[in-house]
Amino acid sequence: MPYLDMQGITRLYPENGVLANDHVDFSVERNEIHAVVGENGAGKTTLMKILYGLERPDEGRILLDGREADLHSPLDAHRLGIGMVHQHFRLIPEFTIAENVVLGVEPRRRGVFFDREGAVSDVRAVIEEYGFTIDPGLRVSRLTVGQMQLVEIIKILYRRADLLILDEPTSVLTEQQIHKLFDTLRSLRDIGKTIIIITHKLGEVKAISQRVTVMRKGQVVAVRDTAAVDERELSRLMVGKSVSFAFEREPVPRGRAVLELQGVVLLQKGQDHPLLDHVDLSVHAGEIVGVAGVSGNGLAELEDVVTGLRRVSEGRILHDGRDITRLDARHLRRHGLAYVPADRLHRGSSLQSSVMENMIIAAHHDFLKGGVFRRQEVEDFARRLKEGFSIDGDPRVPIGTLSGGNIQKVILSRELASKTDFIIFSEPTWGLDVASSEFIYSRILEIRKEGNAVLLISSNLDEIMGLADTLVVMYRGRVVARLENGPGVSKELVGEYMLGLRDDFEGEPR
Amino acid sequence: MRGSEFSIPLLHNTIGIMTPFLLAAVGGLFTELAGMLNIALEGLMLFGAFFAIVFAGYTGSLLAGVLFGVLFALAAAALFGFISLYLKANVFIAGLATNLLASGLTIVLAFQLFGNKGVIRFDVARLPTLSIPALNRIPVLGDLLLGHSVFVYVSWAIVAVAAVVINRTPFGLRIRGTGLSSATIASLGLKPRVYQLAGILISGFTCGLAGAMLTLNLGAFIPNVTSGRGWIALVAIYLGNKTPWGIVIAAFVFGFAESLSNYAQGATNVPADFILAFPYLITVLAMIGYSIWRYYKARA
Amino acid sequence: MRRRKPLGELFAGATGLALTLGIAFAIAVLLIFTLSRRPMNTIYYFFVGPFTNKYYFGNMLNTSIPLVFTGLGIAVAFKSSVFNLGGEGQVYSGALVGTAICLALPAAGGYLGGAAALAGALATGAVLAGLSGFFRMKWGTDELISSFLISAAVIFIVNYFITGPLDDPGNNLLATRAIGEQYRLLGIFPPSKLDVSAVFSLLAAGLVFFLMYYTHWGYEMRMCGLNREFSRYGGINVSAYIVLPMILSGALHGLAGGVAILGTYHMAVKEFSGGMGWNGIAVALIAKNHPLGVVPAAVFFAYLDAGAKAAMLHSDVTFEIAAVVQSVIFYLVTAQALYSAVRRRAGAPA
Repeated sequence: MPYLDMQGITRLYPENGVLANDHVDFSVERNEIHAVVGENGAGKTTLMKILYGLERPDEGRILLDGREADLHSPLDAHRLGIGMVHQHFRLIPEFTIAENVVLGVEPRRRGVFFDREGAVSDVRAVIEEYGFTIDPGLRVSRLTVGQMQLVEIIKILYRRADLLILDEPTSVLTEQQIHKLFDTLRSLRDIGKTIIIITHKLGEVKAISQRVTVMRKGQVVAVRDTAAVDERELSRLMVGKSVSFAFEREPVPRGRAVLELQGVVLLQKGQDHPLLDHVDLSVHAGEIVGVAGVSGNGLAELEDVVTGLRRVSEGRILHDGRDITRLDARHLRRHGLAYVPADRLHRGSSLQSSVMENMIIAAHHDFLKGGVFRRQEVEDFARRLKEGFSIDGDPRVPIGTLSGGNIQKVILSRELASKTDFIIFSEPTWGLDVASSEFIYSRILEIRKEGNAVLLISSNLDEIMGLADTLVVMYRGRVVARLENGPGVSKELVGEYMLGLRDDFEGEPR
Repeated sequence: MRGSEFSIPLLHNTIGIMTPFLLAAVGGLFTELAGMLNIALEGLMLFGAFFAIVFAGYTGSLLAGVLFGVLFALAAAALFGFISLYLKANVFIAGLATNLLASGLTIVLAFQLFGNKGVIRFDVARLPTLSIPALNRIPVLGDLLLGHSVFVYVSWAIVAVAAVVINRTPFGLRIRGTGLSSATIASLGLKPRVYQLAGILISGFTCGLAGAMLTLNLGAFIPNVTSGRGWIALVAIYLGNKTPWGIVIAAFVFGFAESLSNYAQGATNVPADFILAFPYLITVLAMIGYSIWRYYKARA
Repeated sequence: MRRRKPLGELFAGATGLALTLGIAFAIAVLLIFTLSRRPMNTIYYFFVGPFTNKYYFGNMLNTSIPLVFTGLGIAVAFKSSVFNLGGEGQVYSGALVGTAICLALPAAGGYLGGAAALAGALATGAVLAGLSGFFRMKWGTDELISSFLISAAVIFIVNYFITGPLDDPGNNLLATRAIGEQYRLLGIFPPSKLDVSAVFSLLAAGLVFFLMYYTHWGYEMRMCGLNREFSRYGGINVSAYIVLPMILSGALHGLAGGVAILGTYHMAVKEFSGGMGWNGIAVALIAKNHPLGVVPAAVFFAYLDAGAKAAMLHSDVTFEIAAVVQSVIFYLVTAQALYSAVRRRAGAPA
């Protein structure tokens, strides 16, 4: 009998009609480390939230050790010995480790007072019991990210959890910290705990788990013994039928270096290692540079830095030879920067404003006469963009009512409408259907043909390999590979760089 | 006027005057710690003030007056909390509404019950004050610390209790946690709203006391007797950096300003109004200074 | 397992507004029945009284004029996601400065002097609110608290001037001397106090509406209010749009004070403008921060005041019933206000 048996779990989010879990059957044996893998949006986190009592399923039941479990809140989960370490830490930086760990189950003196010393000694006892080394009297704000994660684990061990759920635990850890974590997990398993680990890093699945469940689009598609499956097959299961787009990438003459990054470093308080570590990058006219990497390795930071939303700590950024390092997003626009952000809904658009108002955000100065908008011109502009990009709907409605694909088209049309010579795309087809994705790919190739410089940042390897002329791989904030895209470059090769398995980069393109 | 002849009564008065600010601010502190902006302190105090004196007059008992004053202030706080937390209202507007309701309702009731919209005198006993002859003879401290109304000593006890609760009880830990990160509190299975409501109710309690002190001291109800003290209490919370002892100092500053402005006529050349404005100005300057410091610290 | 729809959602939308007003009126009726010995009479005067003669009706409209200005001031601020809580001080000091300018000018032409007075009032409010905006932009100081603090201090200072150096011993009030006849605005609806400033208020509403929806600054202000990150990425100078809306908001509040003096009061009386700032917030809320909606909302508020006044004069209830009804409206409106365009402050400075 499995230790944990979730049967027929179904959860539909009414706000956006997404069926996060579709009759999911999920079971875990006692004393194993079980990995749950899937792409973004596969339903992994929802399933775990249900298990932890943060959400309730619309259908289905949960059996723990043969007995039905009724989970209304995390308190119920705690009682049943289930603990969860969230992807985004739930810690209070201003409190000490001990205070964070005991919060909610504080030891008391005379019933009313908080036994602070008792808390510290109890937590220290737990720390020693499991062989960790950390001082429970420290304030959480002074800890490294790896230590914070340890605190989260201590939190659930303190509550005598037998079943530990870890949601993307390694996304913020360094190599060494990951090793340490895995050792910890193994020893926890050895003393009788059961562990579920959610991850999208296939290398880690192989390293730590005994069995793996693959989810895709809210359903369980496979359950395998880890030893019996390799990363390629897992990847295939995760993605399903590989949708191969017919990319017609013709050779295009490469011109001058339009955008250059020289030795860019980005530091952040509280982080052990730089978020961007001496990054050198250049994009030429008529070239698409694809930046690949697993999320959390510097892609988002690169995006912020190149678009002027975050300032670099060291290094230079040049546009056509001119130094633009210190420029803010506002000024970069005037320099000809166009940018399609990954965060479509918050950065890329104003959901409550109309499609028209979204379209003119960068160019609204062009439609003014004496400070007043010339309505007709704005409407004509909007109509032209609409037609050029096949966007459905009335430009006067709030953009939030449009589908994801249409929103992205609005953003794209707006960015391309401005006079520009370099464009940055970040996760351009994330969450989009096939038709919209194809449309966007053909536009990107057109832009390239017109002699513009394109920087494509994406965690979608198929996309990058189909579009890019030059592939740059980032790992832990560093550039670990720069490859001319061609027959010698395979997904496996790039994947190895992405997972940090190859360390042969000399700094020059092959 | 010789220095000590002037300063001791001034300080003595300050302690009395600062007490309503202190009481209201200490209660308001709990709401602030729970992460909510509470501008209803003024209205809650007014409810306390009105019902305390009405019931004291009606029952002849000061204690009954205080009890009912606090009760009605709590009821108003419960209404404010319910609408803000469970109906998801904008806490600022709900606070404004509470103040308006207090100001209107107290006058409406005063008119209804006593036919009078102005000052209403009640036949109530004087508030007991503390006087210990042996200690009275101690020079400076004796004059300063004794001879105050019972409310003053109660307020000291409340501040001490508040400090203990905030720093040394699980409840204090959790309420601070709610203000710092309600998501963390929720992830532990606790309910942030419970702690926020508790903060609001505590402020209702202390504001009720503060208001009761005002009217029972006077033996009368004056329309809008609170005249801005609730707002001062809110400012005191910020000036006092959201800690109980900081609030004591801030309340002292405001109390001192008011006490000084009473003495100002003839004693100094500074107009009373400037003295009253002074605490607000230093609070704003302190806030700006703090922002500047924080800004440059983050850039370092 | 569906979650219960929050009660607040019930109140959303235009039907919600009707429901709100309906409940408010019901409470008014309930109060009247409880408090008055002649309830039907009181109800008549409360609801219909303001329309029964020119005096009441005109005065009602006149009371609404400053509320239009302060309502516009708050609407502009809210739409840009900045919080101006210093309205009371801005109105009051604007009024004083306007009065002072009129008193200081030798017998100049009415139009010139009046314009100068209004300009001074406007500038006073603009500077006061602008200061808070500036501190927010530069160092992230919370403008809600700083504008309130500055306003509170300013009120005391204005009180000092009115009861001290500028006090007119001749009148028996705590007030300045009256401004010259030539500066007073023309009455347009005798015997009531309604004057030309009614037209100014409508003009102001129209101008603000035009500004917000048809001009470049209005567009940028609204975009910053809705999504500061997006606006920054789009190339808008987000920092400027923390200060500018505050300046505009303060200017409108100052103007409210100036207009009140020139039109109705003709002298700065101690604390005469109490409530104009706070009520401006209520007006903006009911109007859902729409500049044109501010006009009927202001009139509605003035209507409640006027009805209560009429009921007080002709019947046996007290004027403060209006305050109770207003507070109920506040409560109800805010439970629904969450679902309209009032945005929560976006957080860190740009």
